[in-house]
Amino acid sequence: MKKIISLVLLFTFALSGCEKDDICDANTPTTPRLIIEFYDINNPDLLKTVTNLKVIGQGMSEGIVFNETATDDSKYRTNASSIAIPLKTNEDTCTYSFILNDGNSNPALINEDIITFNYSRRDEYVSRACGFKTVYELNSSNPFVQTDGVNNDGSWMQIVELVEPNIENENEAHFKVFF
Amino acid sequence: MKHILKYFFSFWLLSCSFGIRAQVKDTLTIQTDSFPVTAVTPEAVPELVQDTIKTHRYGLRVGVDLFKLTRAFWDHNYKGIELVGDYRLSKRYFLAAELGSENKTTEDDRLTSNSKGQYIKAGFDYNTYENWLDMENIISIGLRYGFSTFSQELIDYKIYNSHPYWGEMPPKASGQSYSGLNASWIEVNMGLKAKVFNNIFVGFSVQLKGLVTNNTPGEFDNLYIPGFNRTYDGRFGVGFNYTVSYFIPIYKKKIKIETE
Repeated sequence: MKKIISLVLLFTFALSGCEKDDICDANTPTTPRLIIEFYDINNPDLLKTVTNLKVIGQGMSEGIVFNETATDDSKYRTNASSIAIPLKTNEDTCTYSFILNDGNSNPALINEDIITFNYSRRDEYVSRACGFKTVYELNSSNPFVQTDGVNNDGSWMQIVELVEPNIENENEAHFKVFF
Repeated sequence: MKHILKYFFSFWLLSCSFGIRAQVKDTLTIQTDSFPVTAVTPEAVPELVQDTIKTHRYGLRVGVDLFKLTRAFWDHNYKGIELVGDYRLSKRYFLAAELGSENKTTEDDRLTSNSKGQYIKAGFDYNTYENWLDMENIISIGLRYGFSTFSQELIDYKIYNSHPYWGEMPPKASGQSYSGLNASWIEVNMGLKAKVFNNIFVGFSVQLKGLVTNNTPGEFDNLYIPGFNRTYDGRFGVGFNYTVSYFIPIYKKKIKIETE
């Protein structure tokens, strides 16, 4: 009798240790973003940092926030060599403007390029707490369309290279941009 | 240990009788008189039972889970029934089984899904309670093997996007259904059954379950398994029932009482 009761108690403790599934863990891989890495056109193996790059979605009034601690417009600018941008989960196309040297006092240095990404979507089950995630596959025929910005000042992105058409995680770059 | 169980049982029996009274509005009030438990003190027992012959009745007990049956009245997402039965094999051992059908819609934060199907659980109960006189109460611990066949439907879902730059999307309707699913599990069952009058018993039991097999749809998960209830990340589950049952006596065994 005592043995049975202690067994049941053990069972209960084992149970109580594994019920943490009501909150979606922030480390769970969910909807991935598109990863773009920037390389030096003169030395294609070397990562190159961008200067004050602002990325803004078509039809949006605000850019992607890269620096959450900043309060002024500089929160939309990045000086990194790699960026992650979210694609639309409800449409098969998504257009972004990439503005280099955003906010520079010399307007001649500001250069805008526009890229439209074309892809198909698939919703995958993650867990009870997280729900589903969307994964993307860039179209094989026209994965992206690059155009110059409104100023007709030429593209600052000299080569845009697709390296991974399946966007299922954020572990590696999907695009390489040489400039 | 034994005394603790006795007092615990008396207390439970008492509260149970109040519960019954509250539910059926005074039709069962006379029944409190037939409980010798509260009136008899443990010291008085040996005197009382001297030279008595204890009669053990053997038979089949069948009943229904009142909780599942009444849940549909207050929970529009649930419909279900569970029939329970046990057959007394020996002084302490009972063959026991539950048979049920459930249809439950679960609204989680990011998913709404429906699960419906049938299940059967079979095993045994061991009565740890030493009855006085001709009482037939049961405090049991038991083991069951459960099996369920069911189908699930994903009704709607939300996309988890930790970077909602393009805005948070409303839930997407799905309607995708997954049929032919099954699961099996082992459960430890702890229960009480009290004879409230004649051959009517009320009982309560709690169950701890561990999944043995779980045939999931692959691109989805079994979020609710009829009989097993809600699933967690691990293999464990819990459940309970509140039953009323009728005992059908089949034969009797007379046993001389052993004095303690």
